[in-house]
Amino acid sequence: MTAFAGARQAARWRLHPRVRQTELALLALVATALLAGGASLGAGLSAQRAIRAGEPAGAIDLMPPDLRGLLVYLVALFVVHLAFVLAGRRMDQVLLPATALLGGIGLLLMQRLPQGLVVQQFGEAVLGLGQLQLGWLLLALAVIAGLALAVRSDAWLRTYKYTWAAAGIALLLLTFVFGSDVNGARLTLSIGPLSGQPSELLKVILVVFLAGYLSENRSLLADESTRIGPIRLPPIPYLAPMVAMWAIALGIVIVQRDLGAALLFFAVFLAMLYVATGRPSYVIGGLILFIAGSWVLYTLFGHVQQRVDNWIDPFRDPLGAGYQTVQALYAFARGGLLGVGLGAGLPTIGGNLPIPAVHTDYPLAALGEELGLIGLLAILGLYLVVVERGLRIAAAAHDEFRALLAAGLSLVIAVQAFIIAAGNLKLIPLTGITLPLISYGGSSLLANAVVIGLLLALSDPGAEPPSVPRTGRRRLPALRRSSPVMPATGYEP
Amino acid sequence: MSATVDRRPIGGNIWRTGVALAAAFATLAVGAGWWQVVDAQRLSREPDNPAVIAVARRALRGPIVDRDGRWLARSSRDANGEATREYRDDSISPVIGYASRQFGTAGLERSYNAELIGLGGSDAFGGLLDKFDASRRTPLGLRTTLDLRLQRAAVEALGADRGAVVMLDPTTGDVLALASTPTYDAAAIADPDTAARAFGALRDDESDPLLPRATLGRYVPGSVFKVVTAIAGLNTGSIEPGTTFEEQPEAEDKGLLVEGYRIRDGHHEQTDGTPLDLVGATEASCNIWYALAGLATGGDDLVGQAGLLGFGAPIPFDLPTAISRVTGGGGRAPGGFTDDVELASASFGQGETFVTPLQMALVASTVANDGVLMRPRLVAALTGEGPGTREIAPSTWRRVMASSDAQSVQAAMEAAVEGDLGRQFTAGAAVPGVPTAGKSGTAELGGKGEPHSWFIGFAPVENPRVAIAVLVEQGGRGGERAAPLAGSMMERYFEQYGAP
Repeated sequence: MTAFAGARQAARWRLHPRVRQTELALLALVATALLAGGASLGAGLSAQRAIRAGEPAGAIDLMPPDLRGLLVYLVALFVVHLAFVLAGRRMDQVLLPATALLGGIGLLLMQRLPQGLVVQQFGEAVLGLGQLQLGWLLLALAVIAGLALAVRSDAWLRTYKYTWAAAGIALLLLTFVFGSDVNGARLTLSIGPLSGQPSELLKVILVVFLAGYLSENRSLLADESTRIGPIRLPPIPYLAPMVAMWAIALGIVIVQRDLGAALLFFAVFLAMLYVATGRPSYVIGGLILFIAGSWVLYTLFGHVQQRVDNWIDPFRDPLGAGYQTVQALYAFARGGLLGVGLGAGLPTIGGNLPIPAVHTDYPLAALGEELGLIGLLAILGLYLVVVERGLRIAAAAHDEFRALLAAGLSLVIAVQAFIIAAGNLKLIPLTGITLPLISYGGSSLLANAVVIGLLLALSDPGAEPPSVPRTGRRRLPALRRSSPVMPATGYEP
Repeated sequence: MSATVDRRPIGGNIWRTGVALAAAFATLAVGAGWWQVVDAQRLSREPDNPAVIAVARRALRGPIVDRDGRWLARSSRDANGEATREYRDDSISPVIGYASRQFGTAGLERSYNAELIGLGGSDAFGGLLDKFDASRRTPLGLRTTLDLRLQRAAVEALGADRGAVVMLDPTTGDVLALASTPTYDAAAIADPDTAARAFGALRDDESDPLLPRATLGRYVPGSVFKVVTAIAGLNTGSIEPGTTFEEQPEAEDKGLLVEGYRIRDGHHEQTDGTPLDLVGATEASCNIWYALAGLATGGDDLVGQAGLLGFGAPIPFDLPTAISRVTGGGGRAPGGFTDDVELASASFGQGETFVTPLQMALVASTVANDGVLMRPRLVAALTGEGPGTREIAPSTWRRVMASSDAQSVQAAMEAAVEGDLGRQFTAGAAVPGVPTAGKSGTAELGGKGEPHSWFIGFAPVENPRVAIAVLVEQGGRGGERAAPLAGSMMERYFEQYGAP
């Protein structure tokens, strides 16, 4: 009896290596590109140093961009690849290299920027921007690998969706109450020495909850049982989450002053609603709500007005409110078609960076300057690759929960990248969120690592779809008769 | 809707969402292309761009010369290899401006900053070559249309007064003089050692020497605006040269009743109680006649016709220009006037009308050039070697009015200077031996203080060669201060360029 159990245990843990040829080739390409980038960066920086030899050197330059850090990152990538091979899961082979290249570009950028932008002391060791980013990237890779290998069932996500939602709201409330203000926005939650931005984690929780809620109520939401004049609406109680989401987004703006997160949540929510129901009227209705809410916020809040005015004409106050926006546009313009070259951009003004938040809010401006339009298009293309893989995973999923989850996770990355890139490029007012996988910051990197890790786990078609847990207790029994919930047969590609 | 439709597969929705995202990212690509390629040249030459500032620190700025090649601004390196900027004298400061490390740039030094430091020839594709060949960045020089001698004479003539003189060649739009007083020492701002003190003192100076009054100063025009009213009336057919208003002689005594408000004007004894026509009204500077002409033209047409002359928008020019306006706008009457009282007052230059001396010089120039408004030209060529050097030819802005109408206004303006009555008002404006046309203005400022003294005009009447606008802040009556000043300036012009 015990022997039998032991054998089964052994069989379960026996290694079934599966060669991941595409991933290996792509990773080799990524490694080559990053090494070439590092070499180019080193050359560019030393050339710049020679040019500026006459001037007093910036006091904030703690470390040169280090080859060692880059090598550690590359080795870590191949270790993750090896782990995937040994685990033998049939996971997507493009996601990891695409993520790795975005992360590597971010690492090079952080090594290239003045290291004193962010400094943390751990006992004796003083770590600058590049080293901290490397640390977060390694943690992020660990998270990706951990989730990709460990998550075989999604039951823990789908069953406890309301628990997740509650946890998310609790996190939000904690930030409201205990959060600290940075640049006038209450975004950071500190527990002891650890601090992070809960809204980054919140976006993942939101997607998990929405995937659970929408997959369960999909058919009801697509129904049109309520009519108000010519407008056909789904059953009113099922609209409640939509209105609640809208209220939460507004709350985030009002209390946290975090326009970016609010925009991200609302956009992802609308997009997932569309994916679940296929009804454009939801999106249109949501946009009307969004415009109404924006108008109210604009008239009521000074910081919103400032953002919008700044967007309309940053050149009105180029040395004050419009400074960062104007400097970012200058950076894009300096880059031109091919860029000024890695390490050759960002002339300092009196020893200061022209764009103070270049490592968090404006990495795209720095990359646009040094890599040019071509480099920028390549980076935007990389995000599209990630999204394409994510949506492909969604389309191939066995059931609606997994499809909605994968689509939502891809959307989070895509929409966030769009919001900050469009803000940098002055297509929309700037909202301070990070550029996924590139910007400096632990919360951002780890949250996006969770997204990538879950996408990888969901991409394994070999994993049996778990039996759909039927909770039985429907919260709105009155509605049961109007439209019976079909068993989730899933989408057959 | 049946339940089966509700169960339609999710795949199509995912696909459509993906397409929408791809479209959104395509928008980003277009946006990046806009800033990095299409608009990159303009942004890369903005004086505040850190890259431009960095280049400016190293570059030896190109020279600026007047129309005959006399140097106005030039750079040299001192013993330490630091570039220093010299300026010929203070009279050119409102035109040339300054180039300072600490306080940025102004004037032509600002407008042509990129060219002067050698970034002028760069474009999206030229920028590619810049990376490999730094020698492409050779600073260019400017040849202006200014005449240093006239510029100096204008500043001397203004003397201790605050004011502006604009002299144009009406046939080409060339700016011969663009004086503004008080002037300042631009070299002191350019020199890093003295910049802080010099700039601080100028900024705090109550007389505002840093304001180029000719282009950025806005003043009540007084009677010089009557020329605009005449152009508007003739051009729209609202008046003709022979138009008279029956009520005008009587209104000189009793005031002109407009919407219950009496617009008053002194009685012109010399006119003997007969209704005046365009020439007579201009010669006598009759406010009542012009108020009636403006009312006949209407607010919309007055503002619209002034717009043809350059009002209502910045003048396309090598220097920044303030917007001249006929009315403050926002009123409910046609053209944005508050009511007919404001329209009537604006018609003789005493409403909510504000103008720049440059704008009024363009008005005089348009009349002189038989109704064709030339674009004002201050820079005639970008000189030097390498990409970006070019001649800038004179160009027509637009025909404002028929030449027959322009000749009617010319006749009226000639009478205002050379006529029996005009001579009494505007004695000093006539250039000896040269038939002169013009219009003086005495801009009442309401309440205390001397009025602004104005004159606009041109000479000779046949085939005019020079047009002028003179403003002296609180200089008293137009005929007493501005007109003789203009006369002496035009006399100076004919001394230098030969009498007709």
